[in-house]
Amino acid sequence: MDFGGIFDALLTIVGSPYHLFLLAIAVPIGMFFGAIPGLGGKLGIVLVIPFVFGMDAVAGALFLIAMHSVVHTGGSVPSILFGVPGTGPDAATIVDGLPMTKNGEAGRALGAAFGASGVGGVIGGLFLLALLPLLQPIVLAFSPAEFFLLALFGITLIAMLSGDSLVKGMMVGFFGLMMAFVKLDPQTGIERYTFGQLFLWDGIDIIAAVLGIFAIPEMIALGAAGGSMAGGSKINASYGLAGVLRGIGDVFRHWTLTIRTSLIGAFIGMIPGLGGDAASWICYGHAAQSSKTPERFGKGAVEGVIAPETANNSKEGGSLLPTLFFAVPGSSGMAILLGAFIMLGIQPGPALALPENMDIVWVLIWGLMLANILAVIMFIVVAPGLGYLSYVRGNLLIPFVLALTFLGAYLAIRSWENMALLMALGVLGYFLKKYHWPRPPFVIGLILGPIAEDSFHKAMALWGPAFLLRPGALVMIGLIVLTIGIYVYRLVRHKDAPEWMHEDDD
Amino acid sequence: MTINAILNGRVATALVMLLIFLSMSLLALGFTEKARLMPLLIGIPGTLLGIVELINEMRASAKQAASGDNSNDVTKAERAMLGWVFVFFVGILCFGFVYAAPLLVLAFMLAGKKESLTVGLISAAGTFVVLYVFFENVMEIPLFQGLIIERLLG
Repeated sequence: MDFGGIFDALLTIVGSPYHLFLLAIAVPIGMFFGAIPGLGGKLGIVLVIPFVFGMDAVAGALFLIAMHSVVHTGGSVPSILFGVPGTGPDAATIVDGLPMTKNGEAGRALGAAFGASGVGGVIGGLFLLALLPLLQPIVLAFSPAEFFLLALFGITLIAMLSGDSLVKGMMVGFFGLMMAFVKLDPQTGIERYTFGQLFLWDGIDIIAAVLGIFAIPEMIALGAAGGSMAGGSKINASYGLAGVLRGIGDVFRHWTLTIRTSLIGAFIGMIPGLGGDAASWICYGHAAQSSKTPERFGKGAVEGVIAPETANNSKEGGSLLPTLFFAVPGSSGMAILLGAFIMLGIQPGPALALPENMDIVWVLIWGLMLANILAVIMFIVVAPGLGYLSYVRGNLLIPFVLALTFLGAYLAIRSWENMALLMALGVLGYFLKKYHWPRPPFVIGLILGPIAEDSFHKAMALWGPAFLLRPGALVMIGLIVLTIGIYVYRLVRHKDAPEWMHEDDD
Repeated sequence: MTINAILNGRVATALVMLLIFLSMSLLALGFTEKARLMPLLIGIPGTLLGIVELINEMRASAKQAASGDNSNDVTKAERAMLGWVFVFFVGILCFGFVYAAPLLVLAFMLAGKKESLTVGLISAAGTFVVLYVFFENVMEIPLFQGLIIERLLG
């Protein structure tokens, strides 16, 4: 490994006021696009492309990667404070972040989210650095068979998120899967459940679905109950800097979880086609599954904030690998980034791994890590003020958040029909919340359904049922059996379980 | 025990979930063999689980009704909030974000929550600034104009 080149790239960034200035403006812009529902990193990159056009390749790439890598750091803010996810992957943060806010621990939750995002982003960058020599065999080892079983592994986490009723949890998870089938059939191209509606041809929009299932019910519940998001909890130090620092400290107190979920997130991000949305949920499920006190999850466990947030940011490092060296984007955001890189004169592909082209790769890796660190520092400054928002009267908050929620659904695919979908899912989501149906399994089903279906058909076409006997597939089957085994063991050991993950957050 | 005693929101939610699975499974029968495989693989167990859950909810509701617990009913405040969400949807759908959203914010605060006129006007103005000035002009993101406004403007 060219250590000289690696540190030269760092000096290129920190030794240039121009590059530091670009970093300093890219980070808040990225966080802003993450924090506003419906905007997201993809739109952010599209909108700033005219501004980077004409920049030299290093400066432009640094600006774009810095902006893109902190989108989910910003997305954690509305998820934690209002239960409104800025982007799809931020929805997992709601499950414990919002109860923490309701318990008067908004500052701690925000601190944990920012700290976890920062550490996750840095580990994602290091992951990218460490895996460069092993890249090709790992990426190529993933065939449709492993994709299918990895998706199936994610779906088994539905049981972990099912609360006090496995039947309800499975039904909501299955409902998410059924909603994932609303689109043109990937095999035959025939319409499935679309009723002639063009906006459903590409499937149910994840942003509208997540906003409907989480944000609208929270606003209805807040309006009906009165008060603020923090409810009856007294204003205490937890919304202030002390709470924020405590949250950051939690990230290091749970350091094994932080490292584990960062690595899992980066690994999932590296696999093209699996999508980053899955990473946060799989890591959340892992945190609940591996905790000694899983009964706290869903009620405001700080680990439930740390796990998805580390994954959200570390996956960006992982997804850079196939994007840069195979020109195969690891996520939809990376696909747009790939186009922007080409526009800047950076030609992704195996040739980028040649020593003379590696300079730009080191700059991107450093840019990704520095942006995440800078985002944490910036957020520490504003977090106490943000935490205070959870004590704002609901009457002032609800109409603005409702307008923003409808705006997010509209902007996601620029279709008014998406607002109708949001409305329908919002009403259903409220009754699911009121009658204690766990909502997180819905998102898992919706995200993993298309991956599971598509890869199943491909694997069957390639190998028939024998695809289950491939070495990678056997490893994944082992993981699935282990997950189910742990769940059953816990059920037997605690007769009263799983009361944990009960989503009763009224 | 009357039927009305167990027909509450809790049972209705389970019934709606069951009907979703049932109808989607029935619709899947009309698809080609490949296209219906996954929907039926999920839809049929979903329907069976739905039947189990509906029975569970009816039993639980019957017990609650016998003990005089009416926590499964939808309250007046909840109905009002559901109504407001619907009003927001219809308002934005008809008149778009820039015109409808500030007025809806004002209406919600004055009519829905009895806030002062000053607070309502400031909030409405803030909403207008965010939508019109920031989104439409600064970021140049065209927002939905509303079906009626679009028709009027041709």
